Amino acid sequence: MSASAHSLSRLPRDQELLGDLLHSLSQPLTSLRCSLELSIDEVTEQQQQMVSAALQQTETVIGMIQLMREYLDAEQSAGQHAVALMPVLRSMAEDLSSIAALRNIRLRVVGTCAVRMRVAEPRLRLALQYLILAMIERQPAGSEITLLVAEGPAGAVLRAQSERRFVGPGKTPDNRQSKRDSVGATMRRVRLAIAGRVLETAGAALALDDGAPGFVLRIPRPNAACASHLF
Amino acid sequence: MPPVVIEVDLLPVASYVPKYGRVILRARENDLRMKVDYIFKIKKKLVRILVVEDDAPLSSFLRKGLEAEHHAVDIAQDGEQGRSMAMGIDYDLVVLDLNLPGVDGLSVLRSLRQRKAHLPVMILTARTRVEDRVQCLDSGADDYLVKPFSFLELSARARALLRRSHSPSESVLTVRDLNMNRVERKVERAGRPIELTTKEFALLEYMMRNAGRRLTRAMIIEHVWNMTFDSTTNVVDVYINYLRRKVDDGFPTSLIHTVRGVGYQLSADGAMA
Repeated sequence: MSASAHSLSRLPRDQELLGDLLHSLSQPLTSLRCSLELSIDEVTEQQQQMVSAALQQTETVIGMIQLMREYLDAEQSAGQHAVALMPVLRSMAEDLSSIAALRNIRLRVVGTCAVRMRVAEPRLRLALQYLILAMIERQPAGSEITLLVAEGPAGAVLRAQSERRFVGPGKTPDNRQSKRDSVGATMRRVRLAIAGRVLETAGAALALDDGAPGFVLRIPRPNAACASHLF
Repeated sequence: MPPVVIEVDLLPVASYVPKYGRVILRARENDLRMKVDYIFKIKKKLVRILVVEDDAPLSSFLRKGLEAEHHAVDIAQDGEQGRSMAMGIDYDLVVLDLNLPGVDGLSVLRSLRQRKAHLPVMILTARTRVEDRVQCLDSGADDYLVKPFSFLELSARARALLRRSHSPSESVLTVRDLNMNRVERKVERAGRPIELTTKEFALLEYMMRNAGRRLTRAMIIEHVWNMTFDSTTNVVDVYINYLRRKVDDGFPTSLIHTVRGVGYQLSADGAMA
């Protein structure tokens, strides 16, 4: 067996081991979280601050474990699932627009398509949430994000792009390099990786540009003879 | 004064304490009033929940938390014991771990569904895959909670299941002088109309449904925004501020409270603003 074949065969086993480990971690973490939640009312005010800090730290760890699980689960086959892109995209854009509005960012969906994707709906929602949220976080205040959908014979394209609505110095996202920012940036990278794995498992191709906050998602129609003339 | 004889149907109580069966009380009026009060107290206290969970520390925390909310809690530590207790005793809710020694949770659930089709069952599991959720719901689970969960989340969902099994969904929600008509989508406080956006309305509705209970930011964002919680976003705090301005400003009593280290709470026992 070649070295690369050997490492490929190890991959699912490693994932399974990691999955088992995360599974085992969930039990003591549930006990820890519940005990902190229940004890917060039973301690003095001074101790409450410590319990509260411990609870927040526990929730951060749980959030990271949740991300690791999503990453492991991202490549699972969708089985018989086939979900239409547009209703999920519209509903996610509606939910996220209230978050975008906090920074005076307008979020709009333009165009439509009838394409269906081989992915479970919650997983598609998750992928779109992570992609669009990452884009919102990187936009200056007062800008506009357009989610442009187009469809051709070979499939559909979702293109996310942004532009400034107002002339003048828009408030840009805070780039201070605190530990919290660093954790946030790591989690954002993992979320984008999860989105990519989910969408690629569903047969789509995701292109992220490191320099700009937009993305392009190409979704070929099942059994399309050639996707190239669309893309 | 001759004794007043009244027949009291104790079947609702009997469902919590099966050995009592159907009882007829014969007593003087004053005694009877006392006993009926006592029975109502028992009935209110004894919403009976079975927790089937083999992890001893976790089951003890669940018992402690649920008993603090005035529920009667029994614990079963394996699938066989859980199935036997759930079949033999009338519970209002079963909280069932999937990964159990001996008979697994899914088998317990299927057995339960053959004999007790309407008993609410909430599944606890460390499995996160969509397929696992679908399998559980297809097997008859009413709800599904993934570990590591928050006790506050479990408690809120337990209440929702108990509410669903006991009464139809209310169209009007009231907390103190705050009223929400869910059908007409109108909110007013002390007779003064309050205009809310769609998200503000959904947030207030969730808080009113859980009035008096602590809600974490994660619970709020998952229920109101239907999204996975992201600790880096402050959207919940911002929307709570919007709501405070509309619901509490100008009133002598605040209904929306910050619970330090946890999240928020809408409470009828409002602090003076």
